[in-house]
Amino acid sequence: MAFTVTIRTNPTANTEPELKTLEPILKVDNVWKLYHAGKVEVPALRGVNFEVLPGESVAVMGPSGCGKSSLLYVIGGLATASRGRVLVDGNDLVTMSDGERTKLRRHKIGFVFQRFNLLPALTAKGNIAIAQYLHGDDFDPHRFEVVTKMLGLDGRLNHRPAEMSGGEQQRVAIARAIINEPKILLADEPTGNLDTKNSEVVLEMLRRLNKDLGQTVVMITHNPEATEYFDRVVHMRDGVIVDGIPAD
Amino acid sequence: MMGQFVVNNLFHRPVRTLIGVLAIAVEVMLVITIVGLTSGMLQETAKRIEGIGADILVQPSGTTIFMGFTGAPMPIKIGDKVKELKYVQYVSPALLQFNTAGGVETIWGIDPVTFRQVSNGFVFYEGRDMEGPDEMLIDDWQAKAKHVKLGDTYSVLNHDWKVVGIVEHGKAGRIFVPISALQALVGAHDKATIFLVRCTRPDHTEDVMDEIKEILPNNKVQPVKEYMSMMTSTNIPALQTFIHSMIALAVSIGLLVIFLSMYTTVLERTRDIGVLKSLGASKGLVVRVLLAETTLLCLLGIAAGIGLSYLVRASFLKMFPTLSILITPGWMIRAGLIAIVGAWVGASYPAWAASRKDAVEALAYD
Repeated sequence: MAFTVTIRTNPTANTEPELKTLEPILKVDNVWKLYHAGKVEVPALRGVNFEVLPGESVAVMGPSGCGKSSLLYVIGGLATASRGRVLVDGNDLVTMSDGERTKLRRHKIGFVFQRFNLLPALTAKGNIAIAQYLHGDDFDPHRFEVVTKMLGLDGRLNHRPAEMSGGEQQRVAIARAIINEPKILLADEPTGNLDTKNSEVVLEMLRRLNKDLGQTVVMITHNPEATEYFDRVVHMRDGVIVDGIPAD
Repeated sequence: MMGQFVVNNLFHRPVRTLIGVLAIAVEVMLVITIVGLTSGMLQETAKRIEGIGADILVQPSGTTIFMGFTGAPMPIKIGDKVKELKYVQYVSPALLQFNTAGGVETIWGIDPVTFRQVSNGFVFYEGRDMEGPDEMLIDDWQAKAKHVKLGDTYSVLNHDWKVVGIVEHGKAGRIFVPISALQALVGAHDKATIFLVRCTRPDHTEDVMDEIKEILPNNKVQPVKEYMSMMTSTNIPALQTFIHSMIALAVSIGLLVIFLSMYTTVLERTRDIGVLKSLGASKGLVVRVLLAETTLLCLLGIAAGIGLSYLVRASFLKMFPTLSILITPGWMIRAGLIAIVGAWVGASYPAWAASRKDAVEALAYD
């Protein structure tokens, strides 16, 4: 299915907007994820159908155990779907080898986690630069400066994670996730370990990334207030998507 | 970038790193010291035989490389026969006796007159040559090791000897007594363990050896140069086995400590491995990072081990001045390579296990 969206190609011109057809950057087609507890199969995802357009921001909400994280890991290629298709920028993750999924992750996906997951031995700068290194690029000082300035990390770059607040750590994690300009930014409860003030800062950052840079963002959250920052909210229950309610 | 990551990882856990470095250092030190001790003692012994100045050694057949181990001393009259040969300048008999009380020592029973002829005499630091039956000469290293001074009584083979001279080390043994007194003491009347033969000119050695073999076909006749070349651990099967066993032991220690260290590292850094995978790190990269960490740990350990070897040698020589520990660049390199290979073997399973970790489980690890 292709979405038809309105894009103003020249915002200064006072003319009728052109219509363009966009292919989804992410397409989840009847995806199942089964875990094995001994001889018992426990389904985490039961035929999920879900699409995200380029430049869209989507929040996935649902109760604990509904399969949100499983969906995120399957989309990110960290876990494989048991059945169905997961297309990221046209690449079907289900048919890819582990090595191919690793490569795709390296080039097209950025992750932000609830527990920040920074490498403790490295400084903030090192944590961001290692993503550039793994991507295969040399250290790009311009891109680095743009990203760290945007996230307000100047002055904290030589600090290790243990020397930073939770909010700062999460901003470093966001910088690491977007430094290579991924096609999709996947955020797994990014405000789950933050206080209200820092949560707002992080959510605002994600919104700015989406609105200012056109970064596609898919975020999992428990927090209903967080959904206000997103274009679309998807609800999950018992391993399936139950609706797709526009945020506003 | 990865270099910095590897270095930072090591210094992020300084105690673990220190233990790993120490384990490798002990491994390297053990290899260098054990090999150095055996080759040093052999080389030092060989040098002392060379230092006598004789050209040929005549011993009973079946004599091992270790003089004095033989239980078949030769009749002392053999010396007279050898002395009559053409190109033989001097012959000196010696009776060697092991003393294991208070450490392993070889007592050299010598005839002062003929020994002086063959060796051009001792260099005396103190005292004089032996004149009476209960007199003894010791070299300066032995005097230092046993805290013996000129005029002291030195008890050897349940007999008290008076130290009448302290001589420069480097000739034959460390303890010398009159051969006749030693013969009487051990019940080997008119017997000798070895004859030291000096030719009129060194290039007559071959001719003299042929002649000796003719008159003494059942004896072992050996040029000193050959004896020198044989005084290596490779010519002593039991010693070689001992060295190999000790190296294997040292490597096992290093391997096990590195295995444990890297295994705990992988457990401790499970989440980090998950993060690396989420960033797109390949299995190969995870393995390379861990092996690079091991290698760096190893290089630090090797450097520390070499330093430790010199420290141990200095301490040993202070406590046991008669010891000789030969530290050579060749064995430093070999010990280093052994340590690196051992460490890689030790780290390979943890590295492999890390590379195979499930990223989702790793990210959820507490």
